[in-house]
Amino acid sequence: MTTWYLGLSTTGHDPALAIVDAQGTLVFAEATERYMQDKRAWGIAADHPAHLEQALADVGADPDRDTIVVASTWQTKKAELPPEMVDLMIPASHSLWLWHLHQTAQSNIGTGVMRLGYSAKPPTVKRYDHHLCHAVNACHQSPRQDAVCLVLDGEGEVGAASVYDMSARRLKRRWRSWGLGSLGAYYSKMTLLCGFDWRLGEEWKLMGLAAFGTPIPELVEALCATVIVDRGRLRFAPAEQIEQVMLLAAKHGRSRSDPVLDGANLAASAQDAYRQIADQVLAAVLPETPAHLVLTGGCALNSSYNGTIARRFNTAGVSVPSAPGDDGNAVGAALLAWMEDTGTDGVPTGTHTAFLGSKPSHTALAKARTYAGGCKVTQCGADTVRQVAALLGAGKIIGVMRGRAEFGPRALGHRSILADPSKPDMKDKINRLVKGREAYRPFAPVVPLEHAQVWFDHAQAAPFMSFTLPWKPTQGAKVPAVVHEDGTGRLQTVTAQDNPWMHQLCQEMGATTGVPIVLNTSFNIMGKPIVHSVEDAMAMFMTSGLDALLIEDTLFEK
Amino acid sequence: MTDQNMTDFVRAQIAQRTNLPLEDVQENSVLVDIGLESIDAVLLCGDVEDTFGVEIDPSMIFEHDTLGEFVNAISALKSST
Repeated sequence: MTTWYLGLSTTGHDPALAIVDAQGTLVFAEATERYMQDKRAWGIAADHPAHLEQALADVGADPDRDTIVVASTWQTKKAELPPEMVDLMIPASHSLWLWHLHQTAQSNIGTGVMRLGYSAKPPTVKRYDHHLCHAVNACHQSPRQDAVCLVLDGEGEVGAASVYDMSARRLKRRWRSWGLGSLGAYYSKMTLLCGFDWRLGEEWKLMGLAAFGTPIPELVEALCATVIVDRGRLRFAPAEQIEQVMLLAAKHGRSRSDPVLDGANLAASAQDAYRQIADQVLAAVLPETPAHLVLTGGCALNSSYNGTIARRFNTAGVSVPSAPGDDGNAVGAALLAWMEDTGTDGVPTGTHTAFLGSKPSHTALAKARTYAGGCKVTQCGADTVRQVAALLGAGKIIGVMRGRAEFGPRALGHRSILADPSKPDMKDKINRLVKGREAYRPFAPVVPLEHAQVWFDHAQAAPFMSFTLPWKPTQGAKVPAVVHEDGTGRLQTVTAQDNPWMHQLCQEMGATTGVPIVLNTSFNIMGKPIVHSVEDAMAMFMTSGLDALLIEDTLFEK
Repeated sequence: MTDQNMTDFVRAQIAQRTNLPLEDVQENSVLVDIGLESIDAVLLCGDVEDTFGVEIDPSMIFEHDTLGEFVNAISALKSST
């Protein structure tokens, strides 16, 4: 008999589950949206029985033998508080909808565990502070002994910012922000005004669009004034003032049917104001003696901002976990439950990997090999890198599904679409033939860490694509498909140790084309989550302009 | 027994947030009756947490009707940790 610690992200959006074993090792983590193939999986239980069953089978749990300890990512049931406590920036109807989803998520915790026979009655749920879950998840993925951990998101137990000091792996909260002030809610509002929908996770589009616009000084100033920073804590300005500023902002906004670039100046202004507000928080949080900064919470997905921190603030380095959003909290809750049960004070140090999800089913892959009529099927064995590099060099677009899925929103080479970024038309080609997304949005480069400083200014390790950095002016021209409008790239750095296959592929591309960089975009079509099963991957391969598909070491070519 | 420092602090904070004279904000004042809005109640909790180093449950202020009951609850929490 053994005990498994099941962390469930129970906000109501971005549900996820994480499993920690009896030794405190994180053995599995996966967002529900992947299994369900439903973006953000709104309202779906984090312990959805079929998903949970697959995850528990993966780790070798047995309902006849084992015990499951269930942990949730919220300490307070928001349902017990007045609903007007959630958010001011986003429309009240959105807030109320969120509140109901949250209520449902809280009340259903553990039913999946019952369904699978691990508990005859609703299990006792261990509940942990939402921001503490963020912090534990983020620090678990950091190898540091000491760090300052800043959590910035849409909403927490009492507010949307918290600061923790980690000393010898022990976390202690320094303070938390109370009330409605929230950079996450601010960014959601800006997303709406730019004609995008935060409920679809379209904050990315706002961030990408910002590069095409010019900040409007008086608008930036007005936007900055909507979020008051008091010793790092966040407060919203009075409601009437926010209303006035939003009327001004809306004049520069766009509706969903307007041309995208109509919103560019608002996007640039919104991002600039975000930077100024977040800067005030960092200035209040960072100590005089340089410390390592661990940044997490949904706002830590703002890679444009993140990439500017290390060169402008006196820190000993900046890191962001692979899943800084609410999905990542499942890991925090599972670890906290284990720590509580075993009397462990310090946050365990993880393996720093994001490859924590499901593996492709070998049974499904065998079927695909047998029944993929019309495709050329090759068993590459140990030769996958050379064969994929050859196809990339020939201008092919390749879907890749190898090993365990990434935990977090970024595809890091295990569920990726790859291409050669030196081909000038590659960005348009992928958008046209495969992704179907807006032409202005950038694609990301993968570069070996040891080459990063040759290609980027202010190079830093970015294993989870958390930092957007400026290309060196002469270098960007060599990889036009991965240079954004403002001359930046949201790079992924790889090392032979942490991502050997992608590292070898970059090296092979360097040897054959002279450029050790690969274009990497997530293996999905616009509006859908990253593919989960072999069947998902095959379906997208057959219904898009992908030229080839590599699943483990089997190569399918059209 | 009520923590006098905390009582004084909470009275001053509430008087400021409700624009009432300090003498109108007493231990037996009913928070809703003196016009403390929920948004200010939340910010008050944050100020108390910062000033007295005690972790407050966000539902506490809504579970206690009077200023004195709220302060007593926090004092009890503080002495138990």
